[in-house]
Amino acid sequence: MLQLRNVKKTYGATAADSYVALDGINLDIASGEFLCLLGPSGCGKSTLLNIMAGFENANCGTVSFNGAPIVGPGRDRMMFFQDAGSALLPWLTVEQNVRFGLRVRNVPKQNWDAIIDRYLSMVALDQHRRKMPTQLSGGMRQRLQIARALAVEPDVLLMDEPFAALDALTKRRMHGVLLDIWQRTGKTIVFVTHDIGEAISLGDRIAMMSVGPGSNITKILRLDMPRPRDFTNPLVAKMFNEIEAELSLEILRSEQLAAAVAEEKKP
Amino acid sequence: MTWLLLRTGGIAMRPEQAAATSRINPLLHYRSQLLGVVSVALGFLIWQFLSTFIFNPYLVPPPLDVLRAAIPMIVSGEIFLDISVSMVRILVGFVAGSFAGIIVGVLIGRIRLLHDLLDPIIELLRYLSPTAMIPIAVIWFGIGEMSKYFLIFWGTFFIVLVNATAGVLRAPIARQRAAECLGASRFQIFALVVIPSAAPYIVTGMRIAMASSFMSIIPAEILAADSGLGYLLQKSAIMLQTHRIFVALLTISILGFVVDRIFRWIVDKSLSRYVSAVSVV
Repeated sequence: MLQLRNVKKTYGATAADSYVALDGINLDIASGEFLCLLGPSGCGKSTLLNIMAGFENANCGTVSFNGAPIVGPGRDRMMFFQDAGSALLPWLTVEQNVRFGLRVRNVPKQNWDAIIDRYLSMVALDQHRRKMPTQLSGGMRQRLQIARALAVEPDVLLMDEPFAALDALTKRRMHGVLLDIWQRTGKTIVFVTHDIGEAISLGDRIAMMSVGPGSNITKILRLDMPRPRDFTNPLVAKMFNEIEAELSLEILRSEQLAAAVAEEKKP
Repeated sequence: MTWLLLRTGGIAMRPEQAAATSRINPLLHYRSQLLGVVSVALGFLIWQFLSTFIFNPYLVPPPLDVLRAAIPMIVSGEIFLDISVSMVRILVGFVAGSFAGIIVGVLIGRIRLLHDLLDPIIELLRYLSPTAMIPIAVIWFGIGEMSKYFLIFWGTFFIVLVNATAGVLRAPIARQRAAECLGASRFQIFALVVIPSAAPYIVTGMRIAMASSFMSIIPAEILAADSGLGYLLQKSAIMLQTHRIFVALLTISILGFVVDRIFRWIVDKSLSRYVSAVSVV
């Protein structure tokens, strides 16, 4: 279980150029839960994810995983990147990319083949195991990233807009793949996105964030509809519209704020 | 030949375009190679014309005369001796300089303290070209082989170093973080992720350094040597043998071209999976 209490993140060394990215974030993520962090660009959702991963430290507040404070990246939390081309090792084949994780994690050698087979077939890449990442499509690269992450058996997947660069059809297919894997493995997933439809398709809960400076979580929605979620269902459509209305207001507010700041800085 | 030139207009074609045209005319399949031959042949033709009808043939000897001067040098083996002497100097200095440049370069890229300590001094020293270092090299090492090794080393070291550092600094952060999450130690990230990511930059640096070695070996041999291609140039100039000067110049350009092709071939055979990896996004 991931727990965030009063998390605050400030950038910049001096008081003059400091920027408060996150302020007063409280969040509890149950194990096995699929939580989506939804917000417009610049709301600090990636920063929040990096704090959960341990790549960045909060200035105030506590972040803990299963009761222990998070002080750095840990093997139990696997970060997952939008740009699979740079996250993967492009000089290794599909199979070797998965094996790399097993090797650096000191998984006993005799288990490697079975693990590789299992996870590559889970993401339907077992026919492509000798290909190089350059030879794969964007969706296939993301599936390879998923297989490589799952092979080392983390408890939590932290996903930073993983499908944002994919075309709409591939994206929908990836949602199916991810939900299927989530249901089969029971991993905890924290999924950052700015796509309302994506958040509704995937999440158990959606945490909505306000635009910075000083972003926080404005609202947490629980989605009790069964998956796959049908967007023609009036309940789903209503939720979509509500979220959109709220986010539009949020974007408008941030633009006015930015304009006011610019006005102030004028000589 | 003219229509061939006109039709390409000197613009490189995409492969699918080339494939399409090759069905029309098989000759076009090799058009870039053919045009390469045409370009060199035209160069020689113009040179022959200019030195026969416009310039003083003594100052600019026509290519046929240059070829005639080259034959005895080839038969006696004189030119090969000069080539091998210069090549060995380049090779020793280049290999040593590349090794040192890669090692120091990746460490500077990785270790902050080392970067802050060494970067300013490197930024100053790298503007001292090998040519500028010739006088002091002769005083330190004499006119023997050591001074040439040193000068080529000097030129290679900084070029490779700067590129290796840039490659390490530009290793994608996502790749390092992903490896860290997978469980890689700091050393594993460095050795198995960062250095392979920097390989394309290192190879590029080595290619530039090879070209620069060819440029710096000549002045070094002109000013301080009793063998090699630079010495051949110097000796021929003193005796006003312009034919032999042109033989030396031609040899240097052909040699540089051939060595670069060999270097690319070796990289292609041994490192292609690292070097082509740079295009993945």
